Amino acid sequence: MKALFFAIIILFSASPFSSSSVISDIDKSDIELSTRFDGTSLLVFGALTLENDSTSLLVEVVGPSTSIYIRKKVQVWGIWVNRKVAQFQDIPSFYQISISNPEHPVLMKIKNQKLKSLFYDFLETNSTPVDGNGVEQYYDELTRLKKKLGKLSTFEEQVDIIDKKLFSYKVNLPKKIHPGIYKIKMTLIDQQGIELSKSEQSVKVSKVGVQEFLSYNSKKNPVFYGLFSVIIALILGFSAAQLFRWLYR
Amino acid sequence: MQIFLPIADVPVDLFVLLILGAAVGFLSGVFGIGGGFLMTPLLILLGIPAAVAVATEANQIAASSFSGVLAHLKRRAVDFKMGNILVIGGLLGSAVGVEVFRIIKSFGQIELFVSLCYILFLGSIGTLMFLESLSTIQRSRKSVNTIKHKKKHNWIHGLPFKTKFKSSNLYISAIPPVVIGFIIGILASIMGVGGGFILIPAMIYVLGMPTKVVIGTSLYQIMFITAFTTFMHATQNKTVDLLLALILIVGGVLGAQLGARVTVKLKAEEIRILLAIIVLLVCLKLALGLMMTPNDLFSITYGSGS
Repeated sequence: MKALFFAIIILFSASPFSSSSVISDIDKSDIELSTRFDGTSLLVFGALTLENDSTSLLVEVVGPSTSIYIRKKVQVWGIWVNRKVAQFQDIPSFYQISISNPEHPVLMKIKNQKLKSLFYDFLETNSTPVDGNGVEQYYDELTRLKKKLGKLSTFEEQVDIIDKKLFSYKVNLPKKIHPGIYKIKMTLIDQQGIELSKSEQSVKVSKVGVQEFLSYNSKKNPVFYGLFSVIIALILGFSAAQLFRWLYR
Repeated sequence: MQIFLPIADVPVDLFVLLILGAAVGFLSGVFGIGGGFLMTPLLILLGIPAAVAVATEANQIAASSFSGVLAHLKRRAVDFKMGNILVIGGLLGSAVGVEVFRIIKSFGQIELFVSLCYILFLGSIGTLMFLESLSTIQRSRKSVNTIKHKKKHNWIHGLPFKTKFKSSNLYISAIPPVVIGFIIGILASIMGVGGGFILIPAMIYVLGMPTKVVIGTSLYQIMFITAFTTFMHATQNKTVDLLLALILIVGGVLGAQLGARVTVKLKAEEIRILLAIIVLLVCLKLALGLMMTPNDLFSITYGSGS
């Protein structure tokens, strides 16, 4: 009976009839990665209706998935060698989560749930269990390194709410980002962290020009790319010889 | 001006790369060396992944050696038969080297492997050059002339498959050139060097070739081997950064032309001591990089699929 009661509440509160709602837009829908790309920022903004003062806005930015290796160096005969490795599969290359109310009571719970569900999917490839705490350690190092690279941020950025009606949020993307679809999810949550209303935007990040041509062909047409590199080098070598013969005639 | 290298996947300053290319090109013009053995470790120290530095440098050398071989063709200073036999050995060596490279890379140890090769190699070459120049300076002070080179009938002449090399005026076995070519192919593919500093002495002292065809023939072989190595790295390891190669070629061509035309007011031995010191410094920097406790014991690499 109690379970049914809660189910009804959740169903009702998440329905469009709820008095909390959020709508959003974004200042650009495409980001071009050229050879000159030096990082950029996105502005997400919108309008919201808050049921009461305890309703908070949660913003998440999720980049395309990648698989990565975390390697640990150990000292062998005086030199540092990559020894242990853990592989993480299908984790977001970029992840940011922020909230309008930094004093929200279940903040830590939300954070841990989100991070575990997104980043905890990994395989240990050859980690020897010498130091005992292998698994946890790699997960901790993954989140630490991601933060250091500017690709993971948890409740460090500010969500601005104006007059309890409008919101704006700025996303800073570092210069080294993966191409793909970046999703920006806006969620209104209540005091217990229960979702009240959602809105989602997406941005397409793609390589362009020389960047696109070289990285695409290098991966997809390696034979063409190899021949192309050699021919370009030979043409340049030939031109240089001709140019200087002409200059110093 | 920052640019983002598409294959190396790192942002670098365009002017730093151009100046680096020009500086190494200048040194190669002054010293008459290829420069690959300085450029590859410098690229690594600049933060370019070792696998990309090696493959891309092979691409640059293909350009500079082609440019050089054209000049020597005009002077008819290329022994084509010898060159072709060296190329056969070199292609084999390069194919083997690229495969070894790929295997080591798959274990995540390529940075270490390339660094170790360079430390060993720059350390020994630098030390040898330094000692030799020192003794030459001392000898010239005593003004005793002991330079003596005579073609000897050595073990080379006992090997089978003898053939005639017209331009070099030699009648020797084809085995030593194939073996020498093979070694150069290995060096080109795992270190991103032309290998002239080994090839040229080997041609003179082991094969007994006359000096007038040595440079042209070595450039002829190096051009084929580095072109092939570039192609193999592009297809096997996907580590050739053409944008980086272009920048280095432009910088290198300008620097080399300046270097070849600048009159250096130093004696040959003093120049060589200077070069030896540069080589030893680069070696030391690489060695320190391996021995000092890294700032971060953990590192991220992105796997395939995205």
